[in-house]
Amino acid sequence: MALAPVVRDDFSAPFFEAAAEGRLLLRWSPSSGEWSEPAARFCSVTQSDDLEWRASSGHGTLVSWTIKPGRTRDGVTTPDVVIGVVELAEGPWLSLWLPEADQDRLAVGAAVAVSFVQPEGSEHLPVAHLG
Amino acid sequence: MSIESPRTAIVGLGITEMGKVFGRSAVDFAVEAITSAVADAGLDLSEVDGLYVNPGIKNDTDMRLQSTLGMRDTRVLATVQGFGSSAGQMVQYASMAIEAGMADVVVCVYADAPLQEGKRAGAAYPGQARAMVGVGSLPFAAGLKAAPERYAVAARRHMHAYGTTSEQLGAVAVAAREWAVMNPHAQMREPMTLEDHQSSRMIADPLRLLDCCLVSNGAVAVVVTSAERAATLRQPPVHVWGWGQAHPGYVNRRGSEFGLVTGAAQSGPAALKMAGVSVDEIDVREIYDCFTYTTLVTLEDYGFCAKGEGGEFVASGAIAPGGSHPTNTGGGELSSYYMWGMTPLSEAIIQARGQAGERQVDRHDLVMVSGNGGVLDFHSTLILSAHPKGR
Repeated sequence: MALAPVVRDDFSAPFFEAAAEGRLLLRWSPSSGEWSEPAARFCSVTQSDDLEWRASSGHGTLVSWTIKPGRTRDGVTTPDVVIGVVELAEGPWLSLWLPEADQDRLAVGAAVAVSFVQPEGSEHLPVAHLG
Repeated sequence: MSIESPRTAIVGLGITEMGKVFGRSAVDFAVEAITSAVADAGLDLSEVDGLYVNPGIKNDTDMRLQSTLGMRDTRVLATVQGFGSSAGQMVQYASMAIEAGMADVVVCVYADAPLQEGKRAGAAYPGQARAMVGVGSLPFAAGLKAAPERYAVAARRHMHAYGTTSEQLGAVAVAAREWAVMNPHAQMREPMTLEDHQSSRMIADPLRLLDCCLVSNGAVAVVVTSAERAATLRQPPVHVWGWGQAHPGYVNRRGSEFGLVTGAAQSGPAALKMAGVSVDEIDVREIYDCFTYTTLVTLEDYGFCAKGEGGEFVASGAIAPGGSHPTNTGGGELSSYYMWGMTPLSEAIIQARGQAGERQVDRHDLVMVSGNGGVLDFHSTLILSAHPKGR
């Protein structure tokens, strides 16, 4: 598992409650009708502070990505790690691990879907899969 | 109050031994750089009445250097943290303090000692060691930890949008090395080819080892004073003509210019306007080059070539020795030493003074210096000149 464990705080509790149920929450501003990333404290378009949690479609496209090559140490080879910037259909970007991604299919604009995995000692965390 | 035409100058430069220098702390390096810079200016430490301190990644020095140096009744004093934009920022704050009559002689210093004997350079910059709490830590948890992978995502956007290639990034690395070969301060002085770049190991695709800057132990200090006083001192003054800062505040959402346009696009024109010169008049460019891509995108944003044409521009040989646009003439952070914004600033001073020896650029009247911090999040610019600016 390439993902590092993450624990919740008060702010993120609703996000991780939903994640455990397989739902991706984003921040949404009723005054602007715009969506922001989960960590946003202010609307990413209008800077208004009326953000509330709202469910995302969980679908988006790849904006960019990097591949951290696997390494061999003490006879053990770790796989390459693909990390993508995903633009969700609602607009916000999330940086997500793409486990077992077919590197030949990585392309700007490629469709991706979000799912969740739970590393040991961690909340459920979002990951992306090529569609 | 606006300072339309600053009348300050950099009069002292101190550079310690650089790189894998062990057994010395950031404070040790800072003290050496400061005393060396003050002596270089022909001043006495007792004449320094201002100090700005920029600690590096280890964050183990700060404005308490005042007491280490035995300074008393200091008139301006602060720890400055603008990451890679700090050096430019410190010179700006020093100039404003001098213009405002708050201080007469201000020292700005960067010092760091992240390298440990027997450990890899990468271990010095492991990424932000924050507690993995809350949604803010999701990118880190996903693997975007250290600078290479974060800049890799930015570079790939540029490559996709404008057709920039790895070979073009390699041209930046090769040019930097060609300059470094002529720089006695440089850590990497062995010649390097594009093939070397292309065969260097992948760090974070598309960035290879030779797309990445060095990691260095050491310190650099500069001394700033009024142009009037500068004229009486030991070294040829390097006059501060203009400056700018721009911190874009990228939002993580559709339409973001992250990777495509940086703060340099605002900071550069602001600095040029303040200096009253056009980008075509700049003789020497000293660009913050934490990665090859950073040089390329900054040159575009400053207007040395059109947006999206940075790849062709650097591959043409324009920035290499003998090229039309000499850039990072000491080898930059890629090949000389990694002192955050003090790397481009120190070489700018050396070039403007005409003291660069074998690598001296013939025309060195106007030098443009960039600083870049975070992942293109923080930007500063200086326009320096060998001549006083007429009012």
